[in-house]
Amino acid sequence: MAKEVFDVVIVGSGACGGTAAAHLARAGVNVCVVEGGPKIETRTDFNTHAMPYDFPNRGIPKMRNNKPGFDTERSRGLGGKSMLWNAVAWRFGPRDFEGYTRDGAGYDWPISYKDLAPWYETIEREVGVCGNLDGLEDLPDGLFLPPAPMKCSDILIQRGAAKLGHKVIHVRKSTLTRPKFGRPACHYCGNCMAGCDVAAKYNSWDGHMRPLMKTGKITLQLDSVVYDIPVNSENRVTGVKFLNRTTLAPGEVHGKVVILAAACVQNVALLLQARSNRYPNGLANSSGRVGKDFMPHFTGGVEAFLTKLIGKPITNDEGFLDHAYLPSFMHQRKRDYARSWGAQFNYQNRRSVGWARALPGMGAAYKQSVKDRYPSYFVFSPYGEKMPDDKSYIDLDPGKKDKFGLPEVRRFLYWNANDMRIFRDMQQQSRAILEAAGAEIHQVYTEPRPNHEIGGTIMGKDPRKSVTDSYGRTHDVANLYTLGGNILPSGSEKNPTHTFMALSARTAAHLIEQARKGNL
Amino acid sequence: MSQNVFGDNRRETIKIIGAIGVQCAFPFAGDELYGQHEHHEPGRSADPGPPQFFNKDQFAALSRLTELILPGSLAAKVPHYIDLVVRNNPIHKQTYTEGLAWLASVHFLTLPEKDQLALLEPLCAEVDRGETNTLQQKFFRLTKNMTADGYFTSRPGLLEYLGYKGNQVLAEFPECKIDEH
Repeated sequence: MAKEVFDVVIVGSGACGGTAAAHLARAGVNVCVVEGGPKIETRTDFNTHAMPYDFPNRGIPKMRNNKPGFDTERSRGLGGKSMLWNAVAWRFGPRDFEGYTRDGAGYDWPISYKDLAPWYETIEREVGVCGNLDGLEDLPDGLFLPPAPMKCSDILIQRGAAKLGHKVIHVRKSTLTRPKFGRPACHYCGNCMAGCDVAAKYNSWDGHMRPLMKTGKITLQLDSVVYDIPVNSENRVTGVKFLNRTTLAPGEVHGKVVILAAACVQNVALLLQARSNRYPNGLANSSGRVGKDFMPHFTGGVEAFLTKLIGKPITNDEGFLDHAYLPSFMHQRKRDYARSWGAQFNYQNRRSVGWARALPGMGAAYKQSVKDRYPSYFVFSPYGEKMPDDKSYIDLDPGKKDKFGLPEVRRFLYWNANDMRIFRDMQQQSRAILEAAGAEIHQVYTEPRPNHEIGGTIMGKDPRKSVTDSYGRTHDVANLYTLGGNILPSGSEKNPTHTFMALSARTAAHLIEQARKGNL
Repeated sequence: MSQNVFGDNRRETIKIIGAIGVQCAFPFAGDELYGQHEHHEPGRSADPGPPQFFNKDQFAALSRLTELILPGSLAAKVPHYIDLVVRNNPIHKQTYTEGLAWLASVHFLTLPEKDQLALLEPLCAEVDRGETNTLQQKFFRLTKNMTADGYFTSRPGLLEYLGYKGNQVLAEFPECKIDEH
């Protein structure tokens, strides 16, 4: 029997891999999705409705019945991190694609907002994004389901921000506020990031792949941890090699095209470890830029109590976590740094009261002070865009290997002068907004903390300075693509997954076009 | 860019090896319970079981201490929770062995309540100011943290005392009526 050669092999089944797989399959392209973890059933595998006191150590396990998948860094499991995300879904704004032109720092994208706008719309049409039409230049509107109403605490913060001239808007999320696409509307149980048991929150399995399984064009290769991407004498990749996650038995699938969509840092690691005579420093790394330009978002959080809610009766206000957002207002201001920040807030889950540790006192008065503050507690979490620098990069540990024999990944992060100026400004402005909202500050971050992972194989026009083109196609190997945060040349301050999905849909369309021309 | 904006290089490089977290992690360490890294075994009840690490006298002193930090801790089985966490953590074991030896050396359990409070309240104030240098301070900081974690994640603490109201199924998220009352 001749070996099967898929049109496209996709490594990873999260937001990017799932989007690409569904789009390709719908167009009749034969796809194999290689996923490192097991099949996940959103309805039965998560602890969405568990409480901490259901478990002796008070920690709610990610999965029920010790099912493996999401307890590791690599989030292995069908659907990947889209199972556990908070679903915030912004379109990047026109400025975000022109960072270098505007600020003289960092990089421009090789495409503009206009190139990506139709693909944002495609994603909004097929997965459902709720939000309000706000008419903001920097946060372009899309096709939205109705937004979830703001919480009382959001309205208090909104009024505080308004005193300083800043807008607070409804959050936009890939969570259904109305039943659609055979998925129910959100029921506001407040535990979105534990996995949504009804798939009201988008995940790539229920939202993209599952409906396309009937085409027979998606083959799931589960529990298969990819460790190598062979490249032949014609400088084309031939598929991927993997190990079974439990038995470690080796296997291989073959494809005309390979897409790495295993999340930012893991994509970089796969390229770095896929060394060969032709690519001694890692696959598609003739530029030496694989692993460079690592620029995750960073946060500078504040915990606070809204004084107007201290001692008030407790209400059910977990909702779908955050219902409001403070968009960047930096572009209208004179400032001493490049780029920008915006703030997510009020996304705490009231099942956790970790902030009680740091309240002063002991005894009955301490206990009462926790109770009084319980309805008023919230987190204010500004996100800033990190600028690239030589000291922030990803590499492989030369010594340590995991049980699959894969080198451990190291992330090196340096907060450069621009990062620290953003950090200082976000802290000062956040304090001012919270004071205007009548909040009592509880705890403040003393240094930036990394969050959404971005960069590592950035896209660009110059093959000496970038790793891929705007489709995520590597400059070095014509049939090797990668999708995810790693290809963004500039990350904006906005939650990035909606952009990853739009880019994935655009790349899928490009591949469908190639397939029609017989060029795969 | 060898200096940061503070004009010094105390954050020369922040080397991060390991997890950064999922798409949007809860930001503060306070959201991470001490016990969370232990793996739950299926089929076991949520009861942490009888104390395994602390002996009878140690457990009695710990129980009294947690009750003074947060009244109701004993009924919420907070000392049992602490035992479960401590028995799985070598560093905590040492802190507790030494801390409880200190309490025994001052005959803590036999002191009248006002003397117990006279011993602990100044210590609590130091710890609240962020001082964690001495053994006593480290021990109290850890115990206050674990008592708060254990109590406010217990059914009596979270559901009955704080009155947690989430985790329901709502057809619509209600509009805020804050201006009406």
